[in-house]
Amino acid sequence: MSTLEVKDLHVSIDGKNILKGVNLTMKTGEIHAIMGPNGTGKSTLSEAIMGHPAYKVTQGEVLLNGENILELPVDERARAGLFLAMQYPAEIPGVTNAEFIRGAINARRPEDKPLSVRSFLKQLDKTMSVLDMTEEMADRYLNEGFSGGEKKRNEILQLMMIKPKFAILDEIDSGLDIDALKVVSRGVNQMRGPEFGSLIITHYQRLLNYIVPDVVHVMMGGRIVKQGGPELAKRLEDEGYAGLRDELGLDIKLVDEEA
Amino acid sequence: MTVDLKKYPAIAEYAKKTAEPTWFTELRTKSLEKASSLELPSFEKIRYQRWPIQLEQPLEKKGSRKELIETLKPEQTGNMVVQLGQNTLELKISSEMQDQGVIVCDWQTALREHGDLVQKYFMQKAVKFDEDRLTAQHVAHLTSGLFIYVPKNVVLKEAFTSYFFQDATAKNDYVHHVIIVVGENSEFSYLENLKTVGEQATTANIIVEVVAQENSHVKFASVDRLGANTTTYLNRRGHLKKNAKIDWSMGMMNDGNIVGDFDSDLAGDGAHSEVKIVAISTGKQVQGIDTRVTNIGKHTIGHILQHGVILSRSTLTFNGIGHIIKGAKGADAQQESRVLMLSNKAKGDANPILLIDDNDVTAGHAASIGRVNQEQLYYLMSRGLPKKVAERLVIIGFLGPVLAAIPSKVIRAQLKATIERKLIDGQKDE
Ligand SMILES: Nc1ncnc2c1ncn2[C@@H]1O[C@H](COP(=O)(O)OP(=O)(O)OP(=O)(O)O)[C@@H](O)[C@H]1O
Ligand SMILES: [Mg+2]
Repeated sequence: MSTLEVKDLHVSIDGKNILKGVNLTMKTGEIHAIMGPNGTGKSTLSEAIMGHPAYKVTQGEVLLNGENILELPVDERARAGLFLAMQYPAEIPGVTNAEFIRGAINARRPEDKPLSVRSFLKQLDKTMSVLDMTEEMADRYLNEGFSGGEKKRNEILQLMMIKPKFAILDEIDSGLDIDALKVVSRGVNQMRGPEFGSLIITHYQRLLNYIVPDVVHVMMGGRIVKQGGPELAKRLEDEGYAGLRDELGLDIKLVDEEA
Repeated sequence: MTVDLKKYPAIAEYAKKTAEPTWFTELRTKSLEKASSLELPSFEKIRYQRWPIQLEQPLEKKGSRKELIETLKPEQTGNMVVQLGQNTLELKISSEMQDQGVIVCDWQTALREHGDLVQKYFMQKAVKFDEDRLTAQHVAHLTSGLFIYVPKNVVLKEAFTSYFFQDATAKNDYVHHVIIVVGENSEFSYLENLKTVGEQATTANIIVEVVAQENSHVKFASVDRLGANTTTYLNRRGHLKKNAKIDWSMGMMNDGNIVGDFDSDLAGDGAHSEVKIVAISTGKQVQGIDTRVTNIGKHTIGHILQHGVILSRSTLTFNGIGHIIKGAKGADAQQESRVLMLSNKAKGDANPILLIDDNDVTAGHAASIGRVNQEQLYYLMSRGLPKKVAERLVIIGFLGPVLAAIPSKVIRAQLKATIERKLIDGQKDE
């Protein structure tokens, strides 16, 4: 079992404080969901955990199995077991999807024991069929010209091939049609098990019908303001964020609120 | 004989030893006399004039060390030539080529046995001996090379490969000449591997002339890996007759300072030249690449696509020159030069130059100098790839459009492997 702990995390971007003390603990075997209004800092939290250079941690720590990872470069965090399915994955022309995924897997193996091309391809074929992806997607350049939904599927493909300890999925459901949502959920559910934990950021309760979370966190104004079970997501779906905010007596302005 | 060879004892001695024809020896002395009064060629934004690029050593026949020869065994076994310094180690010509009367021989043999043919093409069409000081010095000091003559109506399936090893285990100038003549309606693919062995400071002066006769098609590919201490003038020139086509694919993977002068003269109507260049500069080296296509005939097509990457403190300059001569109605000149810089100390330039003297033409250019996209790097690293590996992927991706446009799959793969090696070495200095 592994643990991921976020302690009193403060993060700023371009000098603007976004996260103002986030606390969160999760273990492998668990699925956590984070919901929260637009612009509240959910992507900031995930990028800060992964180590995006633009996000500056000004206070607090992130511990993987008790060790602070904030000093590690991005690639070392990844090899230590973290994965981030990004809200906006980059496009890399000239590098094929398959070539890249194999490289990522081999980066985790001893240099003299790379995964054989054969077993790699076998595994890739199998995983792509779980995700209803056509073979052609393996030979296309990484995310280049992929549709929104294809990019999301491709993030899950990488997740399933790399098999991290903890995966943060940032709006993996946005831009997916109903069938694709089921396919992607099937992929994530296949990963579920004692050696895998996931933090799922979403705006829609629907995803959580397919991937049922153990814990739901609500984030507002750069903090986690409430935790609960799956029923918390249902309540937000019905009531929106304003009700919860007022109940908690928070002084936060929501983006879509009338002034 | 008009020249007094007594004035040039080194040339006289060399001519005697190699039994080269008189016309050639006379051309040497004429070139030598003229060289000092000629200017060094000038290229926009490439300042190489102070480099040790001029040839100063007297002409001399030289061998290479035996033990060195043993280390130079290319994987390929057939249809190729292997040369080390001034000497040919191996020459194997396919039966396909032999049966169809194709001539392939080293420079001395060509002069002795095919003197008339050589005289007809040597620095007549593509390059002139008195064009500038470097071409003149080239003729005076020339000691090695290759002559390929493909008669008309010969379509060769298999490519011919040359391995030219510049011997820098001793301080010898490397002066090398290749002539490729491809006859009417013929097709020929050629791959040139240029590599340095040894680490002495040396000067290389290399000229390649490709004459593509009417309706012929030549695929010329090269992988250049001259050493860090070799200062090079590399001139590759194509002369294209009516409806002829040359596909140039060049990988500039050298480690030393080099001026590359790559030109195509589209002399005949409907001639077509496609020039693809990838270049990587590393360490402290300077690579200046001046690529020109001149549209002379009507409806000629000249396309230049060059992408380069600059690491450490090195320099890379791409000039792209599209010159349309008056009367070249319906000509098309397009070019794209892109440079990617990996360090703050790298220096790069991409200069599009269009010289258009006719109205009824199409022309266009694109040029850019950029830095590695940090979001791409982050994405790749977030999957566990170390920074240097991620950088290499982004670079290969950047070079991708040029690589993808190279006609031969084998050359594409080989070039990709060479790029990878050069990048790994280059990243050590970062
Ligand atoms: N590069 C940046 N420069 C300035 N502000 C930024 C930058 N990136 C993010 N922000 C700001 O940080 C805040 C938090 O953004 P973040 O992307 O974390 O929100 P989010 O909770 O993921 O929202 P959404 O639900 O819309 O994805 C926003 O106000 C956003 O405008
Ligand atoms: Mg977000």
